[in-house]
Amino acid sequence: MSEVRTLIVDDSSVMRKIVERSLRQAGLDPLVVFEAGSGTEGLDMLKNQQVDLILSDINMPSMDGLEFLRQIRSQNLAPGVPVVMITTESSEEHVKQAILSGAQGYIRKPFTAEQVKERVLPLLNAA
Amino acid sequence: MQVNGVRSAAIVQKRGGGITEMERAMTLSLRESVHLISDPKSLDASVEEVFQLMLGVNSQRYSGPVEIVEPESVTAVVGFGGLLSGACVFRSGASAAILIAQHMTGMEFDEVDDTVKDGIGEICNMLAGAWKGKVPDLAANTGLSVPAVITGRDYNLHVQAPEFKLHHTYHFDNATFEVTIICDGLQ
Repeated sequence: MSEVRTLIVDDSSVMRKIVERSLRQAGLDPLVVFEAGSGTEGLDMLKNQQVDLILSDINMPSMDGLEFLRQIRSQNLAPGVPVVMITTESSEEHVKQAILSGAQGYIRKPFTAEQVKERVLPLLNAA
Repeated sequence: MQVNGVRSAAIVQKRGGGITEMERAMTLSLRESVHLISDPKSLDASVEEVFQLMLGVNSQRYSGPVEIVEPESVTAVVGFGGLLSGACVFRSGASAAILIAQHMTGMEFDEVDDTVKDGIGEICNMLAGAWKGKVPDLAANTGLSVPAVITGRDYNLHVQAPEFKLHHTYHFDNATFEVTIICDGLQ
């Protein structure tokens, strides 16, 4: 697999590390990770970096993950790049909201590396 | 948008001072689910799931007399808003908090620093999400606040007359922690 440039957006630095570790365990190697602690920071990063994959938390202060996703789409940042939402919210309504906002995948916390692999690899292969 | 720190998407809107048909249906549904919401097994299953998946450890409920005797303790609080209002509270001594953060991150910690606090906040967030996810009406219609973490010595948490409260102690390795679900209102 060629280098996978991944943006991880989460207000928790611990969760960003856990997501990165799960991606590595899922076999994404070589992996280049860009970290953002908020949706705003994530948008700024996307203006300067090209990425192949975006993973974002939903429940974040200031700009939540769904607004971050809408902004990516409305500003046409990272066109064609799959976005996977990672969150504790798991109801059908939340999944529907994420998909309507432009997400291609959804991972519920807590998660295993195997679940990350199942959700992320098909998206990368299809991109 | 947030209301009192809790996502408003899940909050049912009042119209004209009355309640809508949808709200009435949800209220009935949630009231009918009280036995599920207050089932102690839901909390045990949530704790087991979060600790198994995120830390790779088997946590077990401990029913003996336990008191966190360490002078420094760590408390994380995640609020519920929407059809159910209340909070999920995680509390442990400093050494247990450090052990949990070590399992989560693979890093070593000498003290309760920002990373440990961040990790404990996330554990509480996942516990709250896993617990409400056990009841479909709660999962869809109750939002979570971002976690708040309190550290210090010699403090007590007091909640006045909740509608119901689940308070369990768990342990893994040599670490003991408490998880409390407080419901102070069912709409």
